[in-house]
Amino acid sequence: MLRLTLAQMRRSLGRLVAAGIAILLGSAFVTATLTAGDVITRGGYDAMTAAYGTADLIVPPADAPVSEVLATARAVPGVTAADPLLMGWGTFESGRRAVNETLVSAPSTPSLGSLEVVEGRVPTSATEVALPPASAERLGVGVGDTLQARWYVWPEEPVEQATAEAADEDAEAGDAAPADDDVQELTGDVVLVGLVEDPNNAWSRYGGAGLATVEAITLWSGATDPDDFGSSNVLVEVDGDVETVRAALTQELAGADVLTRDEAAARAVEQWGGGNVIVMVVLGFAAVAMLVAALVIANTFQVIVAQRTRMLALLRCVGARRGQLRTAVLLEAGILGVVSGVAGVVTGLALAQGALSVLSRTQDGVPLPTTVTPTFGNVLVPVLVAVLVTVGAALVPARAATRVSPVAALRPADAPSVRARPGRVRLVLSLLLTVGGFVALAGGVALARAGIAVDAMLPLAIGVLGGGTSFVGLLVGSPLWVPKVVSALGRPVAALSTSARLAAANTLRNPRRTSATSTALVIGVTLVVMMSTGAVSAQQSLATEFDERGPVDLLVLGTPGEALDAAGRDGVATLDGVETVAVSSVADVETADGRATEVLVLDAADAGVLRDDTAAEALADGRSVVPRWWSGDVVRMELQAADTAVLDVLARGGDRALLTPQAAQSLGIDEAPSALLVRLTPGADARTVLGDVRDVVGDDSVRVESAAAERQSDEQIIDVVLAIVIGLLGVAVMIALIGVANTLSLSVIERRRESATLRAVGLSRRGLRWMLATEGMLIAGVGALIGAVLGLVYGWAGAATVFGPVSEVRLSVPWVQLGGVLLVALVAGFVASVLPARAAARTPPVAALGVD
Amino acid sequence: MHTSPRPADPTAVDAAAPASRARALTKVYGTGAAAVRALDAVDVDFASGAFTAIMGPSGSGKSTLMHLLAGLDDATSGTVHLGTTEITSLGDDALTRLRRDRIGFVFQSFNLLPMLTAEQNVLLPLDLAGRAPDRAWLDTLVATLGLQARMTHRPSELSGGQQQRVAIARALIAQPEVVFADEPTGNLDSRSGAEVLSFLRRSVRELGRTVIMVTHDPTAAAYADRVLLLADGRIAGDIADPSPESVLAGLEGLRVLEAPAGTPTGATPVVDVTAGGRR
Repeated sequence: MLRLTLAQMRRSLGRLVAAGIAILLGSAFVTATLTAGDVITRGGYDAMTAAYGTADLIVPPADAPVSEVLATARAVPGVTAADPLLMGWGTFESGRRAVNETLVSAPSTPSLGSLEVVEGRVPTSATEVALPPASAERLGVGVGDTLQARWYVWPEEPVEQATAEAADEDAEAGDAAPADDDVQELTGDVVLVGLVEDPNNAWSRYGGAGLATVEAITLWSGATDPDDFGSSNVLVEVDGDVETVRAALTQELAGADVLTRDEAAARAVEQWGGGNVIVMVVLGFAAVAMLVAALVIANTFQVIVAQRTRMLALLRCVGARRGQLRTAVLLEAGILGVVSGVAGVVTGLALAQGALSVLSRTQDGVPLPTTVTPTFGNVLVPVLVAVLVTVGAALVPARAATRVSPVAALRPADAPSVRARPGRVRLVLSLLLTVGGFVALAGGVALARAGIAVDAMLPLAIGVLGGGTSFVGLLVGSPLWVPKVVSALGRPVAALSTSARLAAANTLRNPRRTSATSTALVIGVTLVVMMSTGAVSAQQSLATEFDERGPVDLLVLGTPGEALDAAGRDGVATLDGVETVAVSSVADVETADGRATEVLVLDAADAGVLRDDTAAEALADGRSVVPRWWSGDVVRMELQAADTAVLDVLARGGDRALLTPQAAQSLGIDEAPSALLVRLTPGADARTVLGDVRDVVGDDSVRVESAAAERQSDEQIIDVVLAIVIGLLGVAVMIALIGVANTLSLSVIERRRESATLRAVGLSRRGLRWMLATEGMLIAGVGALIGAVLGLVYGWAGAATVFGPVSEVRLSVPWVQLGGVLLVALVAGFVASVLPARAAARTPPVAALGVD
Repeated sequence: MHTSPRPADPTAVDAAAPASRARALTKVYGTGAAAVRALDAVDVDFASGAFTAIMGPSGSGKSTLMHLLAGLDDATSGTVHLGTTEITSLGDDALTRLRRDRIGFVFQSFNLLPMLTAEQNVLLPLDLAGRAPDRAWLDTLVATLGLQARMTHRPSELSGGQQQRVAIARALIAQPEVVFADEPTGNLDSRSGAEVLSFLRRSVRELGRTVIMVTHDPTAAAYADRVLLLADGRIAGDIADPSPESVLAGLEGLRVLEAPAGTPTGATPVVDVTAGGRR
């Protein structure tokens, strides 16, 4: 049977290659993902290992307090040093500039340190710190300079004691800022005693790290005692035999784990697992690609079996059992799966290697291996998946092969076709899944809109489940309804020309194959459009939220009561990207119960500068707009500035109050032009404008803030995530397009005589090529259109579910992406037809005469 | 749109220009030792308004001759004229147009497009040419071929004989100068075959068409006005007003010619044969 299978495969090579490419892409995707996951994990492992310096043994966090472990460890013979490995954060300021720095506890001996001191020394007291050169440069300080450290203490902690303790060790510390009930902000002077570098990239995922003493890190983290600080590894340096010391240490620590550096790193990576989540998500996309590939494979094998009907019948005539025919088909699928799977692994590894080479050349400081190391699993899994998918997809065609009756060998071979009428079971199953799924989806949306769900995740879970179910239902039922869509769309196309009419008619000849081909495309396109719709709806929905929270694009805030520099004011107005500037006053105002906030005075005539229309209307009505967190939902409230007054107010979501000029007068607020409210022109880059304004104003006492810049970076995150997701889904779309090409070339082979007839009765080569191009574009276009519609529905439902509770949902159509998808589909459908059409056009008209 | 050259009036059958003409037509398949001379310097004229059958044993070159006459294949040497047009020198586009406008085909396996109705199949050549159908001519064809009730059916809903009649209508719709039929009865039972052949004859006698048919069936050939016998790539006989018996006799003669007894080629024709088709 094997020899026969191989001989048959050779005959159908062209068809199998096309199907193989689909599988190849899928398994390359899986391989590249797994390899990338490995690289991430290994990077984490290397970083962990580097973080431990050259410690011989590591005691992971145990029940016993760190100080006890340290004391015990230091007492064990053979231990030369033991340090806790503490990691915390500190905020340091110099003048107007500040940096947040990850801090690592300073080692008592260089061998337990992961950072290299390049200048100065290791900090030895709580008022000393060592920073990376980049941070020092940003602060504009050098070794020996004094910085301000800023930290917070939470009231649950014994605040007085903390201050006292800090004061004990640091005479200058403990300058407590005015506190409200929540958090106490503390500052203290520290001296920069050294600059440290991270040669082994131990901390590069935190953006580098500085050094401070254990006491300082504890203090700045708001804790009082290293033991309260939380879990911390203890690094141990050993003189002599490591294993002996390890045993002694284990005993002394009452059975606690004592690990070598490598063991500890491996365990940390396991717990950390950050890379694995990403890998799992990407593997999800790879699964979509594989699913699409499976559709392409199933399609191909169906046609191959149909074309071999005569041969299969002949085999049955000469004595082949049904089982043998099935085995032959499955064997063929298996061989195809192995070959394409292996090719996919090679491609995937090559891609990963290429990406690594590029990254390691362009990304300095990111710890990356220079070569990929294929592990057994990473190679085996994609091949296995490829074989399973291929054989699985060939199961139905294999069954069709067994149904070929021996008599078929004796009949004249006419256009073979797989005649499998969509069954009633399929209809019922599809209807159940689709209707049930959509009901659940609608239920999820309704729950989210009503906001009555017990758990915020519940509507989303119901929605995802419903959406997934209904999509599966639609896919299962696709042979039932996709041909109708093709037929409906084919009608206007048919009116274009005779070639187009023939093409439209052709797409309906094998509805099942056409629908399977379109469906493969529907999957990818639906997901792409869904993501785009979700993202655009998210941006639109959040826009309302953003408008309320940050009603002014850009604020220039001076000192209350002091007029801003007039030149600066005029300068801002003439900047590129600035649409309107409203001159305002800034002041501090308190409520009757002592809550304070900053207010801006805005004339209703200037309210056009606001993004928030509701706030603008309120100002026009003579009401002031105040933050909700500050006022609650009152409509009148008493405020104090120089004077006290009771005002009509509207509570909104912003951070600052906006007062009408009348309200400002009644409060006795100085109306000096101490602030500017700036509205940016649409499409202006908020960050550039922010920088420009800062340059123009150029005064340390003036603050420049831009809500638009924050908003822009939020929106950019959505854009970047969307781009990545679309890129990942693109693989599935690409495989589906290979499926379109495959279907077309199969049609061309099947219709050889027909093409020849058309040529004989007067269809030109170009006409024939156009016919196939139209057919390709119609199949791809239908797939893209159905996918676009489904994607819109799912995207809207998703946005309504996710953003329903948060803000008013705006259902938006991502026109750019929609247009892009349709264009890509049409172009790809056309391109997919090029090779098959060339083959068809080469068919000599004489072929019409032959009896094959 | 009836600007393309029309065949001569049926009454002008004896006009000088034949509908189709081959001169020194030679076709060699393969090269070197494997070369097969399928046609060997054939000279033949096909009169306008006549029904000619080409016969011969397998491998005699009858199909090759038809392919070359119809512009479906390239000649190795020699010329083919359709009317006054020399077609051996035409490019693919010109040949396509020529086939579309001036030649009709009837195939052994009907070759109707399965996704089109009978009427759409019939009108296909005009559609491809972008010409409006001549309704009167379509009605005439449909009536003559007895297809009135079948025009909205698809090929799969038609019997073999009906399919072949649709194919004949398709071949005639553009009023071509010559209709080439390749074993038109090969896939039909004898009754349907007889029907199809009488339609072909009627289209010649009543509609003034020119039909050239390749067949291996003497009964089918007997429907023609003239039978041309081919053997080994040469014209081996020419029978006017054939009957099944005279055709059979002619074929018997060919068998004699083929006999390895060393009989001088063409020296002892059993029937009246004008070698080379010259009159």
